[in-house]
Amino acid sequence: MSNDAWTIAMAAVLGLVAIGIYGMLIVRNLIKVVVALQIFAKGTILVMVAAGGISGKPAVGQSLAITVIVADTVVTVMALALAIQVRRWCGTLDTRVISRLRR
Amino acid sequence: MSPGVTGIQVSWLLPLTVFVPWLGALVVLAAGRAGRLRTGLAIAFAAADAVLAVLLIPLASDRVGFSLTIGGVFGELSLQPDGFGVFLAAVAAVIGGLAVVFSVDYLRGEEGQGRYYALVLFFIGAMVGLVLSANLLMVVIFWEITALCSWALISFNNDDPKAVAGGIKALIVTGLGGVGLLAGSLAIYAQVGSFDIPTFMARANGFPPRLLAWIGFGFLAAAAAKSAQFPFQTWLPDAMEAPTPISALIHAATMVNAGVYLLARFSPVFSGVPGWSLSVLAVGAVSAFIAATMAAVANDLKRVLAWSTVSQLGFMVYAIGAGAVFQSQFHLLSHSVFKALLFLAAGAVIHSVGTRDMRSMGGLSRKMPLTCAVFIIGSLALAGIPPVNGFWSKEMILGAGLTRGPFWAYIIMLVTVGLTALYTLRCVWMVFFAPAEDRHVHEAGPAMKVALIPLAIGSLVTWLLAGPFQALLERTLPLHFPAAVADSGGLKGTWAIASEVLTAPSTWIALGVVALGAFLWTVRSPFKGIGARLRPVRRAAEAGYGFEAINRGIMRGVQGMGEGLRSTQSGLLNWNVAAIVMAVIAVLCAVWLVAGQGG
Repeated sequence: MSNDAWTIAMAAVLGLVAIGIYGMLIVRNLIKVVVALQIFAKGTILVMVAAGGISGKPAVGQSLAITVIVADTVVTVMALALAIQVRRWCGTLDTRVISRLRR
Repeated sequence: MSPGVTGIQVSWLLPLTVFVPWLGALVVLAAGRAGRLRTGLAIAFAAADAVLAVLLIPLASDRVGFSLTIGGVFGELSLQPDGFGVFLAAVAAVIGGLAVVFSVDYLRGEEGQGRYYALVLFFIGAMVGLVLSANLLMVVIFWEITALCSWALISFNNDDPKAVAGGIKALIVTGLGGVGLLAGSLAIYAQVGSFDIPTFMARANGFPPRLLAWIGFGFLAAAAAKSAQFPFQTWLPDAMEAPTPISALIHAATMVNAGVYLLARFSPVFSGVPGWSLSVLAVGAVSAFIAATMAAVANDLKRVLAWSTVSQLGFMVYAIGAGAVFQSQFHLLSHSVFKALLFLAAGAVIHSVGTRDMRSMGGLSRKMPLTCAVFIIGSLALAGIPPVNGFWSKEMILGAGLTRGPFWAYIIMLVTVGLTALYTLRCVWMVFFAPAEDRHVHEAGPAMKVALIPLAIGSLVTWLLAGPFQALLERTLPLHFPAAVADSGGLKGTWAIASEVLTAPSTWIALGVVALGAFLWTVRSPFKGIGARLRPVRRAAEAGYGFEAINRGIMRGVQGMGEGLRSTQSGLLNWNVAAIVMAVIAVLCAVWLVAGQGG
C-alpha cells in the first residue's frame, strides 16, 4: 500500500470514528444512535482493511472486515427492531424519556 | 494394562467427570415441567458421574491427564488426576449422587425442583473441576462457580428473607476470601508466566520470599473463608437455611473442604514461609475450639451440625499446619461421609417433625428407628469413638499434633475433643431420647433410606481404606510425601496405621477426654451451679463471640460499596460513551508515558 493511500485511509478512519463517537455522545434519538454506531463501525472496518494492506496480509484484513459487516448487520437489524418496539410501547424515541421508565 | 491405554482412558474420563453433570444440568432444565422425568434424569446423571469419578481412582497418576491448549494468558486448561484430585472428585460425585437421591423424598411436592436439580448438578461438576484442575485460573473460576451455586441453593426458598440473607452472606464472605486466591494467582502468573500449578510448585523456590509470603497468606485467607474458619466462621451456620440435602452436600461434605484442599495442595510450597504453618495451625485450633463451644449451646439441630462442621474442618486445618497432610485428608474423607450422614439423617428428622428446634423434638428413637440408628453411627464418628471412621482419622491428627505441633495447640484440640463428645451426646439425647409428648411422626421415606444406608455403612468401614489411601497419595504426590514408603499399601498399610494409632499414647488420652466429656453431659445435674456461673460465657458463645459483628461488617461494607457505585451506572448511552472515550484517552496517555520513559 502506498504512503498516500495509507494517509487517506487513516484520515477517513479518524473522521468516521470521530463522527461516530461524537454522535453517540450527543444524540438522544434511538434511530440516530444506531446511525452513529454504524458510522463508527464503518471506521473500524476500514481500519481492518488498511491494516491488512500495510502488514502484507490483505486476505486476513478483508475476511475480518466481512465478518464484522455480517455481525454488524445483525446488530443493526436487532437494534432497529428494538427501536420500533420502543416507539410502539413508549410513544417516543428519546433516550431521556425511556431511561426514566425503569424507576 | 499398558500405559498408553491408561492415558487414553484418563484423557476422556477426566473431562467427562467434569462435564457430565453440567450436561445433566442443561438436560434437567430442558426437561421443563415433567416432574418424574426430571427427577429421573437428575439421578441418572448424578449416578453416572459418581461411577465416572470412582473409575478415575485406579487411574490416578502424578501427570497431567487431559489438556486443552487455549493459548495466551489462559495457557493450557489441564486436568490432573493426582491423589487429592481423584479422591475429592469421588467424594463430591458419590455424596452428590446420594444427596440427589435423598432430595427426591425431601423435596416432594415443592416448587422449583428443576432449578434445584440443575444447580446441584452444576455444583457437582464445578467441584470436580476445582479439585482436578492443574491450572490456577481454572481453580479460581471453579472456586467462584461453587460459591455461586452455594449462594443460589442456600437461597433456594427465595421468598424467605432469612434464606436470602444467609445466601448473600455466604456469597460475600467467601467471595471476599476468593480475592486472596485471585490476587495470589495473578502474582504467580506475573512471576512464572503461566497459571500451571506444577510449574509454580517447581519454581516457587525462586520467588522473592516476601512475595511468596503474600501469596501464602492470600491463599490462607481464601481457604479460611471457604472452609468457614476463624475469623470468617459465621456464614456457615447462617447457610443452614438451605434445604438439608444441600447442607449435607455443599456445606458439610464438599465445598467447605475446598479450603482444606487448597492448603493441602500448596502446603509444600508455603511451609517454608516463616509463620505460615503456625498461622494455619492456629486458625485451625481456634476455629475447632470456638465452634465446639458454640455447638454446645445451640438449640437448632442444623446449627449444631454446622458448628461441628466448622470444628472438624478446624481439625483438618490444624493438621495441615502441623505438617500432617495425609492425616488431614483422611479426616476429610471420614468427615465427608459421616457429616453427610448426620445432615441427611437430620434432614429426615426435620422433614418429619417440621421444626429444626431440638427442644421440641425428643423421643424419636422409637418412631424413627432407622434414622435414629444411622444418626447414632454418625454421632459416634463425630465424637471419635471406636471403631467408626471418625475415631481413626481424628486420633491420627491428634497423634501428629502431639509429636509435630506446639503443645498449647494440642491442649486446645484435646479440650475440643471433649467438647465434641459432650455436644454430640447432648444433640443425640435431645433429638431422640429426651422425654416428649406424643405426636405424629413418620419414618424416613424410601429414597431417603437409599441415601442414608450407604453412608452409614461408609461411616463404619471407610477407615479400612487408610492404607490404600495413603499409598495413593504417596504414589501420585511426590512433592507432598518425599519420604514415601514403597510397600505401604493395601490392607497391610491399614493394619500398620491402625496398630500405630492404637499404641499411640495420644489415642488413650483422647479417649479419656471423650469419656470425660460424655460423663459430664450424663451427670450434668451436679454441675448446674458451675453452669450458672458460666452463663456469661454461654451467652457470648450464643452470640458468636462478636465475630458475627465482624462478618456482618464485611457484608455491610461490600453492600454499601455496591450501592455507592450504583450511581456510576446511569444506564445512559451518552455517559457510557463519554466514559469509554475518557478511558481510551487515559490508556493512550499511560502508554505514551511508559513509552516515553522507555525511550
